Amino acid sequence: MSGDYLWDRSGEDPEVARLEGLLGGLAHAAPLGPLPPRRGRRRALLLGGSVVAIAAAVVVAWWVTRAPASSPAGCGAGGAGFAFTARGGAARCGGGATTGGVLPVGTALATPPDVTAEVVVADIGALTLAGGSELTLAATGTAQHRLRLAHGRLSARVTAPPRLFIVDTPAATAIDLGCAYDLAVLPDGRTRLTVTEGVVELAAGPRLAHVTRGHTVTTAADRGPGTPIAVAADPAFAALVGRWDAGDAAALAPLVAAAGAGDTLTLWNLLANAAPAARPAILARLDELFPRPEWLLADELVAGKPEAIAGLRDVLTSGVWLAPVDAPPSPIAPDANPGVWR
Amino acid sequence: MAAAVVDATIAELVVAAQAGSHAAFTTLYGRFHRAVHAVALARVGPADAADVVQDVFARAWTRLDSVRDPAAFAGWLMTMARNRAIDRARSRAPDDAGARELAVAPAPTAEAAAALRAIRALPEAYRETLLMRLVEGLSGPEIAERTGLTPASVRVNLHRGMTLLRERLAPPESTGGTP
Repeated sequence: MSGDYLWDRSGEDPEVARLEGLLGGLAHAAPLGPLPPRRGRRRALLLGGSVVAIAAAVVVAWWVTRAPASSPAGCGAGGAGFAFTARGGAARCGGGATTGGVLPVGTALATPPDVTAEVVVADIGALTLAGGSELTLAATGTAQHRLRLAHGRLSARVTAPPRLFIVDTPAATAIDLGCAYDLAVLPDGRTRLTVTEGVVELAAGPRLAHVTRGHTVTTAADRGPGTPIAVAADPAFAALVGRWDAGDAAALAPLVAAAGAGDTLTLWNLLANAAPAARPAILARLDELFPRPEWLLADELVAGKPEAIAGLRDVLTSGVWLAPVDAPPSPIAPDANPGVWR
Repeated sequence: MAAAVVDATIAELVVAAQAGSHAAFTTLYGRFHRAVHAVALARVGPADAADVVQDVFARAWTRLDSVRDPAAFAGWLMTMARNRAIDRARSRAPDDAGARELAVAPAPTAEAAAALRAIRALPEAYRETLLMRLVEGLSGPEIAERTGLTPASVRVNLHRGMTLLRERLAPPESTGGTP
């Protein structure tokens, strides 16, 4: 390859150069104009913040001395943590029954089967904890907000920089890359992740599944995340993926052959995690289904070069961000944890 | 001090500008004004796009305190640019917009105007990225830094957008007859 002029002006591309010459006259060159005076906003905020803090302290002191029966010690309205509200009855926070308050770091929030809880995730989003679930706030700060879902299910919607919001389950870790998703700990201990917007990574040990909008993945026993499949995937194709995830190497060839245009992310995950000998066949099928840009070299992809693998992922998933944000209905099967999801 | 400002990272410049440094803000303008112009040019004509650039930076100066994470400045600025450009486009009556569309000096050639129209007819992600590359002269890595997108995403947008643009600018195939 002789360079990529469109990207970094290396090599040649006469048509791009001609367009540059044609349009370059429209480039912006004006200096910065006069700036308006700045308001003393920071000072005003500090002053306002002080007033608010004093008022909040008064309210908290009143709340604590009032000692409401519905708010157990440690999960009251004040302090650092995530605010929550129980729906349909009382949840248990820090061991006591309550209909709402603040979930402090290190404390578990548990919902009875017929009660759900709305939890505010700092200033980046919110989640709904289904009935029959237990969620612990492990950490919260500017670098990371981390929760542990011991059992049950949650549905989260977060708007934040990638990797700021993390949920651990007994089998895996869900790492938000900017999205909305459903996460469930199944009765048999496996974890199922279904993404309704954006992208989420599901990690366990060295294995990593990159799960995009409209895809779902379940951890395989003792094998970490399985291979993500489209929620709308053909059941026969899903069965082949299940066989492959369970360790049946003979499932790979029919799986690759059966993959359709809606299964390119499944193939990418296979490519990223498969042994080198399996990659040429996976890439060949991907090339049949999706026009690979010439700057993504087959040799580098087959060799598993991380930059190439990541580049192909970005090519395949760019539509995830460009697509309309109409979320599909929650694709978690209602019988996966019967009676506890509203 | 001037050298320190010139060499500073974007996050350092944002923090300094939040503290009131005109020099830091002027340096930020130098790094971002072409990207902001491209975002505006994707939605309004060149004359209005230049106004949008000044408007965006004047607002950014007065609202910098709302940027809590300096590393998020690029995304914040681009969002503001999109919103201001959309507001500007909505404020123009259709006839007025047409009259101002290419009211810049020197006026672009007919071929340039056609190319600009073709780019502006592309999907948004391709449109902005191609304008940054072909009009403003930013390289792919520079576009990634200015927009907060990953380099791989910018590369995808550039190549996909350019493929579409080539198709749309290609002369129609002749029908019938032999060469």
